[in-house]
Amino acid sequence: MAPLLSVEASTKHFGGLLANREVSLAIEAGEIVGLIGPNGAGKTTLFNCITGYMHPDAGRIVFDGGDITRTRPERICRLGVARTWQVVRAFGRMTALDNVVCGALERTNRVAEARARAGELLDFTGLRGKEDAPAATLTLADKKRLEIARALATRPRLLLLDEAMSGLTPIEAAAAVKLVRRIHEELKVTICVVEHVMEVVMPLSHRVVVLDYGVKIADGAPQAVVRDEQVIRAYLGDRRAAR
Amino acid sequence: MRAGRIALVIGALAAIVYPIPLQIQGTTYYQTVGFLVLINAMLGVGWNVIGGWAGQFDFGPQVFFAVGAYTAALLYVKLGVDAWLGLLAAVAVAAVMCAVLTYPLTRLRGHYFAIATVAIWMIAQPIGATWEYIGGSQGLFLPVKPPAGVVAEALSLQFSGPTKSMGYYYAALVLFAVTLALMALVERSKLGYYFRAIRDDQEAAEGIGIDSRLYKVIARSITAAVFAAAGVLYAFWALSVFPEQVLDLHWSTLPIMATVVGGIGRLWGPVLGAVILIPIAQIMSTTLGTGPLAGRGIDLIVYGLIIILIAAFRPTGLLSLPWARWLRLRRPATA
Repeated sequence: MAPLLSVEASTKHFGGLLANREVSLAIEAGEIVGLIGPNGAGKTTLFNCITGYMHPDAGRIVFDGGDITRTRPERICRLGVARTWQVVRAFGRMTALDNVVCGALERTNRVAEARARAGELLDFTGLRGKEDAPAATLTLADKKRLEIARALATRPRLLLLDEAMSGLTPIEAAAAVKLVRRIHEELKVTICVVEHVMEVVMPLSHRVVVLDYGVKIADGAPQAVVRDEQVIRAYLGDRRAAR
Repeated sequence: MRAGRIALVIGALAAIVYPIPLQIQGTTYYQTVGFLVLINAMLGVGWNVIGGWAGQFDFGPQVFFAVGAYTAALLYVKLGVDAWLGLLAAVAVAAVMCAVLTYPLTRLRGHYFAIATVAIWMIAQPIGATWEYIGGSQGLFLPVKPPAGVVAEALSLQFSGPTKSMGYYYAALVLFAVTLALMALVERSKLGYYFRAIRDDQEAAEGIGIDSRLYKVIARSITAAVFAAAGVLYAFWALSVFPEQVLDLHWSTLPIMATVVGGIGRLWGPVLGAVILIPIAQIMSTTLGTGPLAGRGIDLIVYGLIIILIAAFRPTGLLSLPWARWLRLRRPATA
């Protein structure tokens, strides 16, 4: 069976900076894939190319058999890809509920139906009781949950989480990991998580892809990837790898 | 909200009864002030769609006020089409024209979008002043029909004689009420949610499937439709359409100021703002008319002061003040 998403030799540069060089990866339906790498490795650029905010200079991106290399973000969302943002982008002046309603309106034109769906998703993501709070007043952890709820409201088949756990306390991060597992198990959504914190990604992911300076340096089971020479070198430097 | 309901009923009754004592007294002047308040409130409610909900600063909506006025006037003068049919045509023409003109502009954001809307207005002025078919700078004059009873006057939107001011006041009240009701529907519909999503974060909105360019065009076309309807009413009230008048900057600045003072992004914000601001200019020009302060421009100074005070102390507008809490405080503590 063809993978749900396949990125084929995607290259993207900004002026002289090569953010992604011929990156290829495939995500099968039902997987949780971790995309890791040091800061500046090109993880977010790859996300932006997959979700249509940027278009690769070369290469191809295929989702569910259709070429989305040059497709606009709103079309890609309609096809079933949703994302969250590294720096949260909640609709600050709207209430938490209305934020999620906007997502749910992607699949219905009826506001009442969208509100019901949004209420369920706020419950699911643990935001019950905060429906009427303006999104700007929520804590960072709640804003990240709100973004996840809003993304889920568009009924995605593939959910891309850009550092959904960074900046959170250990307890909040643990809760976020639990939420990601529940999304995968209960809503049957395929997930790709970007993190630079290894401890979060390793236990969560079925498979891990490592980027370094825009190049894919490893792709495999978490246990294998952490022992990979190149990965250790990218994260810890040469001396540690030689030992 | 109960207080809101009560305020709505009182406001509606006051608006309906307002011209009657004046009519008995024979003062038509303050009925015309009321007419101008209603037109500007209606324009503000329309501008709120693009400026308040969608968050795109549009400083050129008066173009569509002019498009509406000219469309209905041309249909009436050249083809003898009735005012109300002309109004429907004007609304349609303005909405379509706005969509075509605005689509390319939606690539621009922030200040650049605002500048582009002004540019379109600047282009419209020489066109209005030189296009022979629409009368050039002379404009168009609407021939008056002989009066034939209240019903006929209302149907042709041509009021005359001693009840002229009252007639136009009620015509404006009807158009204002229809606009307000329609915009209340828009606010609660998918459109209202999508407009505000684009205002708060365009990228995030696109990420959940909102076509930001399409919805900006829809928002501005709704604004244009409201401006066109008001333009038609104005044309029949003034019995003439000429470029300097219908393309005047104050057709956008007054509604925008009213919106900001009352509460931008709130359905009733522009209404409150218009009720406060518009009478100021009228009252000042009558009371200071012969005094030492006579002359034009005093009202603009007062407007400027009000805007400065609002911007400094309550940028979200007067409606955003905690009215509910204040009103509850005054009630005896039984509940």
